[in-house]
Amino acid sequence: MPPKGSKKASAAAPSQTLVLDNGAYTLKAGLVSANGAELSYDDCAVIPNCIARSTRDKRTYVASELEHCKDFGELAFRRPVEKGFIVNWEAEKAIWEHEFMGAGEGLRCDPSDTNLLLTEKPNCPKELQKNCDEIVFEQFEFAAYYRCIGPALNAYHPFSASSLFSLPQECLLIIDTSYSDTTILPIYNGTLLQTASRRLTVGGKLLTNYLKELSSLRHYNMMEETYLLNEIKEAVSFVVPSAQQFATDLERTWKGRQGDKRELDSSIVVDYVLPDYERAIHGHARPHDPAQLRMRRGLQPLQGPREDLLPLGNERFAVPELLFNPADIGIQESGLSGAIMEALSVLPDALKMGMLANVVVVGGNSLIAGFMERLETDLRALVPAQYLLNVSRADDPIKHTWLGAARFASQPERLRDVLVTKAEYDERGSTWLGKKFTTM
Amino acid sequence: MPHVEVLPNSAAHIAPGWTYVVDTGYDPSKVALNPKNKKRAAAQPRVPRGENELSSRQQLAIARRIAELNRDNDPSKSIEIPGKAAVPKTQNARRIIQYQRQIKHWLDDEEAQLAQLQQAPQPRAAAAASRLATAPSRRSSTMALIPPTASEATTPGPALPAPAPAPPKPRNERDDERLLSIDASMPSSVNPAELQALLSAPPLSYAASHASLPPVDGPPRRHFCDNCGYWGKIKCMKCGAKVCGLECKDAHEATRCLKWA
Ligand SMILES: [Zn+2]
Ligand SMILES: [Zn+2]
Repeated sequence: MPPKGSKKASAAAPSQTLVLDNGAYTLKAGLVSANGAELSYDDCAVIPNCIARSTRDKRTYVASELEHCKDFGELAFRRPVEKGFIVNWEAEKAIWEHEFMGAGEGLRCDPSDTNLLLTEKPNCPKELQKNCDEIVFEQFEFAAYYRCIGPALNAYHPFSASSLFSLPQECLLIIDTSYSDTTILPIYNGTLLQTASRRLTVGGKLLTNYLKELSSLRHYNMMEETYLLNEIKEAVSFVVPSAQQFATDLERTWKGRQGDKRELDSSIVVDYVLPDYERAIHGHARPHDPAQLRMRRGLQPLQGPREDLLPLGNERFAVPELLFNPADIGIQESGLSGAIMEALSVLPDALKMGMLANVVVVGGNSLIAGFMERLETDLRALVPAQYLLNVSRADDPIKHTWLGAARFASQPERLRDVLVTKAEYDERGSTWLGKKFTTM
Repeated sequence: MPHVEVLPNSAAHIAPGWTYVVDTGYDPSKVALNPKNKKRAAAQPRVPRGENELSSRQQLAIARRIAELNRDNDPSKSIEIPGKAAVPKTQNARRIIQYQRQIKHWLDDEEAQLAQLQQAPQPRAAAAASRLATAPSRRSSTMALIPPTASEATTPGPALPAPAPAPPKPRNERDDERLLSIDASMPSSVNPAELQALLSAPPLSYAASHASLPPVDGPPRRHFCDNCGYWGKIKCMKCGAKVCGLECKDAHEATRCLKWA
């Protein structure tokens, strides 16, 4: 903590804070005033954190410009965040400038009159943290700054409107299953318990790439269609409730063998109508129709408009299954529930119980149908029967961490304790700052 | 000439080469190229030779495929930033903005620095190393032995000598014991010293933060047809992938066989 009443710390801090949850896939951002006002998900803007280039219309789209894109075919992406950490500052700087600074519409601020609350993923290499701190103060020249583990700020959500509990929440287990990976984060009074945090390789990016690989192998070459495959993944994926159901569904989606062909079960198998980017920008799924497949193969005359169909069978559930069984493709890690128990095993029993009674899931993968049910079933099987287990998904798992951070930033006394001013940075440098943020 | 072998239930066929279980928990491409830590492989109880055991070539193929699936950017495709960029305001900013490194380079650096700290002879550095390393070493044993180079890996020679003697018991076994010992009664409050230690512990390194292998006594790994995703019942003798039947075997050989080798 900075010394209370330190002139430099208190004199300069402006009243507005740019709260920025800087994800690999999207930025979650909003300007927050330190006046304790009520905040909601509506105060958060979600902005693609990428620069995209289309070889078809020869246009380059920076971040939010992507909403003007009408043709996602073969769209290539440059992402400044890799494995959850800001790696390429040339691109990230361009995106921040485009979205937050200078003239323009929407979210605008003058960094010299704004605090920055920037969230990061846990276990960020120190050198990257240092780069980040130097850019924030030396290039953008924010007036004051706080960098911290984003998910830990979820402890600042009130339990309920009429809650008797004080904040931060005492024991909170955040499962953050996002684009880059999935992290398991036990949080005590707003502080991440570092040695009990665990990471799983599988995140939304890997799932999309896996679906892209499988579809390309089995149907068309779609290796350049990352945008589309992500859309398809979001539209058709589901998590099976159990290993038994997995086996059942695998049978229902099997083509059979030579001489013993089976009819695909169209209650599971779907045909995804691919967009042609002329009549339709987005595709859609519908129950599988074997006649359509025969027409496409020229075995039956074409009827109706020409369509390109991508049939999806076991891909629908075998892809998200990697969250629970990464070993299915040879990743040598336990699945999500096993990793949660591994993380908690580091903690004394009282904390373990507290954490299991308050598990909150954030991140986009939690929106996959069946995810929450499967997580709870798997966990219940591992948690001793007498332990209370409460697992919930945040109302908006994408914006929830941002809102926690925004609620933190809206309280002047909390913010004052953690902010470092540019004057302090100029005086003491980035090595000092790195240590300060690590021990705070 | 296609080679097909129906897998026996108890194991017998092992491709020539090594038989340690690969751990691809961290950045697999990196692990494959820099075998730095053999502890986990050495300490792993020798499971009877069975279908879980993979040849070095298969391990490398799996590691490469996972690295590919987990990649954020394609370095072969450069996208220029449109418009005129603002000038860097300091030397630091200029240097940082010009970096063209990828995440794997930074993570390699982090591991190299930790290794250096652990080896440093000076008492001060050693103290720092032990502080930094207590947590990270939890996982330092998870990078299993993978042959050092691709060329070596694709031409497995005679069996290697056994790895170095077993290091101390891996941490995750202790964790498992603790996991099992959860008391039925309501636990007493937390010991303040223990809590303080948890709250003030430094972060793990990125590599150390990954979850461990699934427990040995858990359900066995499932194998799927490399082509259609149904159960994999037949093993391709060229690359070790599994397929469900003859039809998929043909498709496999025409498409992905040896793709990541
Ligand atoms: Zn098959
Ligand atoms: Zn093969």
